[in-house]
Order: sequence, then structure tokens, then C-alpha cells
Amino acid sequence: MMTSSVLAGYLIVSGLLLSIGLIGFFVRRNLIVMFLCTELMFQGAAIAFVAIGRFLFDYSGQVMVIFILTVAAAEAALALALVVLLHRQRDTLDADVFGELQE
Amino acid sequence: MTMIVIGVTAAGWLIGLATGSLSTFADVSQGVFFFIFSLCGVASSIRLVTHDRPVYSALYFVLVVLSTAGLFLLLEAEFMAFALVIVYAGAILITYMFVLMLANQAVDSDQPHTQALYDRIPREPAAAVGVGFLLLCLISGTVIGGTSSLPTQGVQQSQWSTLEHLSKQFESSVMELDASFAWPPVDSPSGNKIRHDGIEAFIVSSDGTTLVLPTSLLPTNTQQVGWSLVNDFPVSLELAGVILLMAMFGAAILARRAIELGEQEKRNVLLGNNRDANPLDDSGDQS
Repeated sequence: MMTSSVLAGYLIVSGLLLSIGLIGFFVRRNLIVMFLCTELMFQGAAIAFVAIGRFLFDYSGQVMVIFILTVAAAEAALALALVVLLHRQRDTLDADVFGELQE
Repeated sequence: MTMIVIGVTAAGWLIGLATGSLSTFADVSQGVFFFIFSLCGVASSIRLVTHDRPVYSALYFVLVVLSTAGLFLLLEAEFMAFALVIVYAGAILITYMFVLMLANQAVDSDQPHTQALYDRIPREPAAAVGVGFLLLCLISGTVIGGTSSLPTQGVQQSQWSTLEHLSKQFESSVMELDASFAWPPVDSPSGNKIRHDGIEAFIVSSDGTTLVLPTSLLPTNTQQVGWSLVNDFPVSLELAGVILLMAMFGAAILARRAIELGEQEKRNVLLGNNRDANPLDDSGDQS
């Protein structure tokens, strides 16, 4: 059985992963590491989904993780294709350099 | 020196917090594993953000995925745990590693161990930590405030609803188990045919006899998730397929431009190769 204080432990771990991912997204300047940080935020969301689903005995939480996996896979494919293209253009992975692309 | 003192104090406080909250777990070994997995996950996610070599960041992300899978196992989500390891650590992270290896260039040949400037110098660290801390405060405040108003035990009504949908198969297996059972079983007050008293699942027939169900009759985690996926979210399942298709199209279109350039070069190379392929003819012409 799962008590609500155990649920709170899982939710706080998921919140920690989410905020560390957010900090990493703001702090890092490497495009690939920034995308890794978004994946980290996905992990935090997945833990929260599964923990609440376990608490409520509802399997929708685990189904949501399947959709998170789908979105993460699609995002990784597209974002990494874009990153490779940008890297060929400017020969760097610095996110600040690509701010000048919009002229 | 002061940093060490602060670190030791923080570690001691954390250990005290952990041992204090271990008692909230019904099973102590489960609590120990929870702390191992969550500490491993949080520590490696911090290292992911702070490491200056992107390849190591990706490897630390594998550690985060593995500890998340461990937490999923503790939450009895076995299918999702293994799917996470296979899809995340096996497929998505390999893509990241490919791109990292592709885009990694030696910055300074004199110092091969230093990374590029954009990997070493953070952007707005103070503001980012402030925003992250605010987010964490919001989340933990909501979690602590919200979970204290929840009932101490989760509701258990819908746990076995899957099997009732597969009633034909269920009936034949119950008949195999006990041929004298008067089918159909009576609904519990909460509306489920299969009841659960916290230890084992059982069904009650119309003449009052109860039959304890063996665990082999109960649905596995994969069955439950699969049933929930196709029964509760059919439209979302189609949408997920469309998202994957669109991602495939997008990646193909993005990659096509690069290949067109390559095609031109390939043609040049082919022409050059044809000329080089007959060196005797060329030399014969020249002589």
C-alpha cells in the first residue's frame, strides 16, 4: 500500500528533476545539452505521472508515460537534425550564436 | 573549510531526514531503495547540468534514466520501467551520442582536454538558479499542501477493472479453478466484480461462496497498461502515431537538403573516379 506521504516523496523527487532540468536549460549554452535538459524535465513529469497513477490505482498515468516517450523520441529526432544542420552552417554549438540567424 | 562544514551539516541533515521518513514506508527495504534511486537520480542530474563535457552529460543522463526505471519498479510499473530503459537509454540516448560525436571538434590542439568556451562558461547562472528555486518552492509547497489533504490510503476501486472487460476468458479460467462456482459473481458495493481486501483478490458468487483468485489469474502490469491504452485513449494513440509520422517527415526533409549537396559532390567524385579509373588511357593519350 502507498500512503500519501510516500507519494509526496516521489512527487518531490520529480519536482527536483524538473527544476534541475530547467536550471540546466537556462545555464548551459551547448544546444545538445540544452535538449538533454528538456529530456530531464520529461523524466520528472514521468515520475509524477506514474506515482500519482499508482496512488489512485489508475493505469492512465503509465499510459501518459508512453505518450511522453513518443514526444521525446519525435523531439530528439527533429531537434538533433536541426542541430546538425546549424552546426554545419556555423561550425559551433553555442546557442547564443544562433540568435543572430534571424536577420 | 567552511564549505566542508556546511557540506557535512547538510549531509547529516539529509541523512536524519531520510531515516526519519523511512518509517513512513510500509516496507523498510522499499524505502531504502527509494532513497538510493532518488539520490542517484538527483545527483547524476546535477552532474549532467554541471559537467563541461557534453558526452559525459549524456552518460549521466543514462544514469538518471536507470534510476527513474528503478523508481518505476518500486511503483509497480514494470512495463514502463523496461520500456524506459529500452527506448530512452537504448534509442534516444544513442541518437544524442551520435550527434555529439558528429559535432564534437577539437577546440585547441595544444590543450586537448579543455572544452569549448560555450561549454565552460554558464549563461546567467544566478537568475537561472533563482528561477529554478522558485519553481521548486512552488512544487514542494503544492505537493506538501496537497498530499496532506489527501486520504492516507489510495482508493482501490478500479484496480481489477481490466479483467472484467475480458470476462469470457476470465469465466473459463474461473470455471477451471472451481467448476461449482455459480457464475456470474456479484458486484461489490463499489461496482466491481473482483474485490480486494488489501491482501488478496476474491470474487463472491450469487449463493454467497467466495473464491480467492490466484495471482496467475490477475492481470499483469503490461495487460493493464495495454488495456488502458487502447480502451481509454484511442484518439491519443492515433495522435501519437501522427506525431511520429510528422517527425519522420520533418527529419527526412531536413536531411534531404544536406544530401542534395552531397549528391553534387558525389557526382564530381564519380566523374573524377572515372577519369582516374583508366590511367592507362590517359597516359596513352599524353604520350
